[in-house]
Amino acid sequence: MDKTDRKILNIIQTEFPVEEEPFKFLGEAIGISEDEALDRVKKLKEEGIIRRIGAVFDTGKMGFASTLCAARVSEEKVEEFVGIVNSYSGVTHNYRRSHEYNIWFTFIAPSEEEIERSLDEIREKTGVDDILNMPVRRKFKIDASFDL
Amino acid sequence: MLIHYDQNVQKKRDIVMLNDREKALIKYMQGDMVLTKRPFAYLANHIGTDEGEALNAIKRLKKQGVIRKVGAILRHQKAGLTENAMVVWAVPDEECERVGALFASYRDITHCYERMPPLDGKYNLYTMIHLSEKGVEKFVGKISLAAGIADFKILKSKEEFKKSSMEYY
Repeated sequence: MDKTDRKILNIIQTEFPVEEEPFKFLGEAIGISEDEALDRVKKLKEEGIIRRIGAVFDTGKMGFASTLCAARVSEEKVEEFVGIVNSYSGVTHNYRRSHEYNIWFTFIAPSEEEIERSLDEIREKTGVDDILNMPVRRKFKIDASFDL
Repeated sequence: MLIHYDQNVQKKRDIVMLNDREKALIKYMQGDMVLTKRPFAYLANHIGTDEGEALNAIKRLKKQGVIRKVGAILRHQKAGLTENAMVVWAVPDEECERVGALFASYRDITHCYERMPPLDGKYNLYTMIHLSEKGVEKFVGKISLAAGIADFKILKSKEEFKKSSMEYY
């Protein structure tokens, strides 16, 4: 990844041009040709630095509910628990973290009730009772872009 | 970008009703765009509209706030941001606005939310931190001093089990 790649990433992780010819637009912004801009983005994608190019949505505006859950799971049950939790398509992120609540996952669903229902189902299937449901009360920042 | 509102208030009044074409567009845009010189023409063809209409629809959804951004989502570790942590803070209710706004102003803090109920009965403010070099503890110590909030916990991720994009439709 060179300096030009970094320039490209710093632009398109914040805002991919919504234009008829976005790579021409991007190339002009940093002084390279359309072909080079497209080739470089393709390469960054192949290398796995770019996970995807698309849209990020406000789940609330679309009428969906979202939350962060934390579960206290004994070590011998972690694998089974994670397998069952990850089978829900609304679970988009799941990590082991250094806390007595050791498994942390995000959950998006059409309603809060559906999240609660799914959590009860998970409790029943796995025998893990202690799952916290901690929805957002106030948002101060959502900005998954980085200074490269 | 500073987004600031009470989610309960938003729930009642800000839900945007989407038509079938918008849902089709979202279904495509929640995934990975095809990399060609005219990616929005490709998208338009895919959902049965023309390029101009598709571009207008995306711009409209952005303006309405349904689309937060159109952009590249990176694998931050591969992009060189190797250090990351979730830090939870015990912030008194009356201090939350001030501390939330302060934390939001740091470039290395990518997300900052107040959550309910608080973890361990007191940790209500959540921050996600991404750094390009070691020093999460040092950074957290610095912002703890700046905010005047001494009670916090660093919850490092030990293992990634899942990381995906939501499929809404």
